[in-house]
Amino acid sequence: MHRTIVNVILLVGLFFGLIVLASGMSQWRLPDNQQGYAPEQPIVYSHRLHAGELGIDCQFCHTAAEHGRHAGIPSTDVCMKCHKYVTSSFDVLQQEIKLADEQKRKPETIISDELQALYDTLGLDDPKGPISGDAKSIPWVRVHNLPDYVYFDHRAHVAAGVTCQKCHGPVESMERVRQFESLSMGWCVNCHREATEEGINGQAVNASIDCAVCHY
Amino acid sequence: MVRRSTPRSIVRCVTIERPLMNNESHNKYWKSLTERDGSSPERDVIPQDGVPFGISRRRFLEAAGFTLSLATMQGCGRTPTETALPFVQQPEGVIPGRSQTYATTCAGCSAGCGLLVKVRDGRPLKMEGMPEHPLSHGGLCAIGQALPLGLYDSHRLQHPLKDGESTEWDDVDQAITQQLSEIESGGGAVRFVTSTVTSLTLQASIDTFLERFADSCHITFDAVSSSAILDAHEQTHGSRVLPRYRLDLAHVIVSFGADFLGTWISPVEFTSAWRSRRVPTAEHPEMSYHVQLEGRMSLTGSNADHRIRLSPDEYGVVLSHLYAKLSQQAGESADRDELGAAPISGEELTALAERLWEARGESVVLCDSSDVAVQILVNGINHLLDNYGKTLDIAHPSRQRQGNDSDILDLINELKAGKVTALFVAGTDLTHNLPDRDGLAEAIGKVSLVVSFSERLDDVSSLAGFVCPDHHPLESWLDAEPVNGVIGLLQPLLAPLGNTRSVVESLARWSGKDDSAYDILRAHWEQSVFPRAESEESASFVSFWDQSLHDGFVEVAPTEEPAGEFQTDAVSFMEDTPAADYCLSLYSKVGLTDSRHAHNPWLLELPDPVTKVTWDNYVCVSPAKASELDLTDGDVVRIESTGTDVVLELPALVQPGQHDRVLAIALGYGVKGTDRFADVGPQWLEARPTVDPGQLVGKNAASLIKARDGMLSYARGNVSITKTGKRHELASTQEHHSLEVPARVAPPGAEKRDAVQETSLSAFAEDPTSGTPEVHHFGDAQLWPEDHPKTGYAWGMAIDLNACTGCSACVIACQSENNVPIVGKDEVRRQREMHWIRLDRYYSGEGDDVDVSHQPMMCQHCDNAPCETVCPVLATVHSEEGLNEQAYNRCVGTRYCANNCPYKVRRFNWFEYPHDDDLQNLALNPDVTVRSRGVMEKCSMCVQRIEEGKIEAGRLGQPLADGQVQTACQQSCPAQAIVFGDMNDPESAVSKALENPRRYGVLEEFNFRPAVSYLRMVRNREVDEASDDHAHDEEGGGHV
Repeated sequence: MHRTIVNVILLVGLFFGLIVLASGMSQWRLPDNQQGYAPEQPIVYSHRLHAGELGIDCQFCHTAAEHGRHAGIPSTDVCMKCHKYVTSSFDVLQQEIKLADEQKRKPETIISDELQALYDTLGLDDPKGPISGDAKSIPWVRVHNLPDYVYFDHRAHVAAGVTCQKCHGPVESMERVRQFESLSMGWCVNCHREATEEGINGQAVNASIDCAVCHY
Repeated sequence: MVRRSTPRSIVRCVTIERPLMNNESHNKYWKSLTERDGSSPERDVIPQDGVPFGISRRRFLEAAGFTLSLATMQGCGRTPTETALPFVQQPEGVIPGRSQTYATTCAGCSAGCGLLVKVRDGRPLKMEGMPEHPLSHGGLCAIGQALPLGLYDSHRLQHPLKDGESTEWDDVDQAITQQLSEIESGGGAVRFVTSTVTSLTLQASIDTFLERFADSCHITFDAVSSSAILDAHEQTHGSRVLPRYRLDLAHVIVSFGADFLGTWISPVEFTSAWRSRRVPTAEHPEMSYHVQLEGRMSLTGSNADHRIRLSPDEYGVVLSHLYAKLSQQAGESADRDELGAAPISGEELTALAERLWEARGESVVLCDSSDVAVQILVNGINHLLDNYGKTLDIAHPSRQRQGNDSDILDLINELKAGKVTALFVAGTDLTHNLPDRDGLAEAIGKVSLVVSFSERLDDVSSLAGFVCPDHHPLESWLDAEPVNGVIGLLQPLLAPLGNTRSVVESLARWSGKDDSAYDILRAHWEQSVFPRAESEESASFVSFWDQSLHDGFVEVAPTEEPAGEFQTDAVSFMEDTPAADYCLSLYSKVGLTDSRHAHNPWLLELPDPVTKVTWDNYVCVSPAKASELDLTDGDVVRIESTGTDVVLELPALVQPGQHDRVLAIALGYGVKGTDRFADVGPQWLEARPTVDPGQLVGKNAASLIKARDGMLSYARGNVSITKTGKRHELASTQEHHSLEVPARVAPPGAEKRDAVQETSLSAFAEDPTSGTPEVHHFGDAQLWPEDHPKTGYAWGMAIDLNACTGCSACVIACQSENNVPIVGKDEVRRQREMHWIRLDRYYSGEGDDVDVSHQPMMCQHCDNAPCETVCPVLATVHSEEGLNEQAYNRCVGTRYCANNCPYKVRRFNWFEYPHDDDLQNLALNPDVTVRSRGVMEKCSMCVQRIEEGKIEAGRLGQPLADGQVQTACQQSCPAQAIVFGDMNDPESAVSKALENPRRYGVLEEFNFRPAVSYLRMVRNREVDEASDDHAHDEEGGGHV
């Protein structure tokens, strides 16, 4: 009798356990493998538009990639270099100008939803106004996130002539950024091996595969 | 990286051949008395700290398998969402993740060393020495290194306190201003007590503040003062000054108890200067001659060429004899009283006098006595030797110690008489550091306005009506003039973490001014410092200020301080006093000095350079006295001051080399609030608290300071010692991680391995390679030559044992750089301290006089590394550049590597060490992984710095220059004993050091091929002892 109860409890437990596991199965991957991760961002920012269509260089905004370990997410005032004046998409603005011209009035400032979200974080009523003291940082969700025991340095790779796309994939075609490569150790090491054998852009490089190049 | 072949021939050769040592039966060096006498039970090969529970292998594997599968499942799936917050407006020049270096001045003590602070993402992380600084020359002591932990201390006061309650500055200001105006109009004595103030601006602020009051005075009190030296100069030279000691000009240094390499006045400056004269080369086999006469074994004494055991109460007599002998030499009339017998032999005295006389003008006699009469004798001797104006500069004196004992004793009398209306205390824990704490506390209770500026609730602040917490030095604007003519600037490196306020600002408020500390400082510089500027470039004040701020210090014209002619009449001989039973010597511990750093766990866990004890103070007794009293380490003894009710119970520690009559206790312990460290280490089933319930870290020995004749005596008689029968286990690292092989597993003849090599100067002059022991070498085969061709860089290090003093600054530098955890006293007891560098301290000699050798020991990055061959998961492997790498994320914690390491430098993370204090976590270096439980770690040769250096050089398209990458230990070594660099570059400093005839490798005979080399120690002695087949001269005498 006693054994039966135990067995039943165990079976029921196993059943529920399997259900929980099965629902989690869809998200299973090797630990720390985030390939394909494309979280929603607080502001709908399109790399396709900026880097692809408009052809803005990656390092125009991610200036630190050349100078520091992190490429860095640009500070909000970098956005405001253009978006002080560009308050909506080109077509919308053109239409308004045309309409205003027809109606013999000054064109109104039309602000798109996305850019309104940007101005809101800065506490700006007028995009051309000065950035106030209570401006908030935009809580971007980190896409490329290496474990704490890995030390990747953008400087070395930019200096060696590795293109951004080599690791980040075709960002210029991504509406929302997703992790393109696995960023796993094997992937890093393969690239280092290839680079040492074949060079980068015809330049010989020594991409070491010592542990302490990344782990310390 | 993966090893493909095992060269069998080498393995075979190891099994067949045995090392042939010429000292089979006798080991020259020993770490502890038990080791020397062989009385300790034989240590196990595997440390006794294995699995604590009685658990079977099968059960363990079951549990391990289950845990592993759970851990794997837990790791699957997405890592948690993390946000990245960029700046709204990026400050100019700030690049996330890139550190910037700011020049400032260290305020850890009053020595005023130059400081370079690495600031990353807005937080100061690493303190480094400033190579350009005229005093410290790039050195920084352990205290300076440990500043970040003091800054990120959650126990610092966050708000001003009024009657013990947190309040706002406005309330405090209003209340204090009101009371002050009452005093101003109604009269009343205002007393302002500070520790030595080297800051010109602070001094001016205090002076201005006190001007308003009819009866006011500024009293300087140092927890361990050099008041007697200043008083002596007042009598002999007519001005109360502390000379600037120029040890770099001294060829013969005779120190009576002054621990100038460890704690005395300005240890970093002195270490750098001392070391500049300790570099014998084959061409010029010359070095300074250093004699130390002392009662306890100090760090300085442990580095002396000749050490004479002398009780502090005998300094006066010996100095009198020395004075008499030297005045005879000088041809002065010896119109003096007859002298009694000297406590040291006549030959030794004569030899000492001769060495000093030969080096007239190039010698210096130092003394730490708090007795003015003794210091006058010292002045007399230095005068006879014509040292004033040469090795002692009193025209441009030091301002590093200005404490005045008689003033403070007068103040105590005033306080007790109830004559003081307002008392301000800054920079010193007055009641903690003075004897008769309770009497003083009661007297302070009579004062109507007590204001403390302490940054934490220390003893005196708990008695104060108002506590107006000062900023941490890394948060403040201030200046410092440690030596006349050298002025350092302090600049804030981050916004204040709490609602604190600098003292100058507080004083300005109470004088009705709204100026910020920056305004006050700048105005003072414009008015007083700029006119002293000598450089022509600084035409305008703005450029002068900017340049000074950039450099962190400025050299200006010294103010002329008139020093009178020497007054020979002041010198009077001291009679041979009948020897008391004991002489109690109260000293400062290296890396702690006084109570102000007693809340810094890095410093509390730093093993004392000589005794190797952590987390406690204790009574040092000599081995002879210990056997007489039947004491062993950890026996609690009762120290009584006869005739008073002052009693202190402390554990005893048997200290070789100590004078038999001397008992020595460190000051600066037993500080209020240090019970917070009870749970500092990992909390597990068998954990014992670092601090016992109701206790503090160590005990305060200040109650034993004797106040007499206007002096605070740190060496005194009239004490008794009795054994209590209680035990207090000390956490000493003395015998941990020994290079010794236990006799029962050692190959015959290889039980004893001497890691230290030394020679004498005379032997060195004849043969620069003298001191090389005759040992058998196992050939020079390499295990993996094809895998590690080392075509690029080959990193290596050389450590000059002749320069290394053992000061342990490198230990804290490494701890700060590499996120080495604090483990607590109990874990230290279990041999689980985590420091990546240990300072091995060896004694040699068998008599009462022992020689001491210090040896920094860290991972040797062997080419034929025994650890690498035994790692089952290849977590420790060799790099292309000769580094022995440790991949934490690959390590599974078998600890095979640590067992196989001949140097015992690997440290295992037994626990997830506590990182619960978010504020303290800000001190962690983001460039180094914080290791988790179950992984092995060890010195990486600061590989993060190597990578940073290589990458930055690559970015700039320049080759990596020699010296551009410095390891943390190397950077701040006050003695510049460590050289690091590329061994493939024949021009690099390390390659040059490897060609030094003094070079050797520890255990090199086993063909481990270490990348760390040592340079043999040379003692300035004429007797050839070292190479005399270890027939050591045990008498200690005859070296002169």
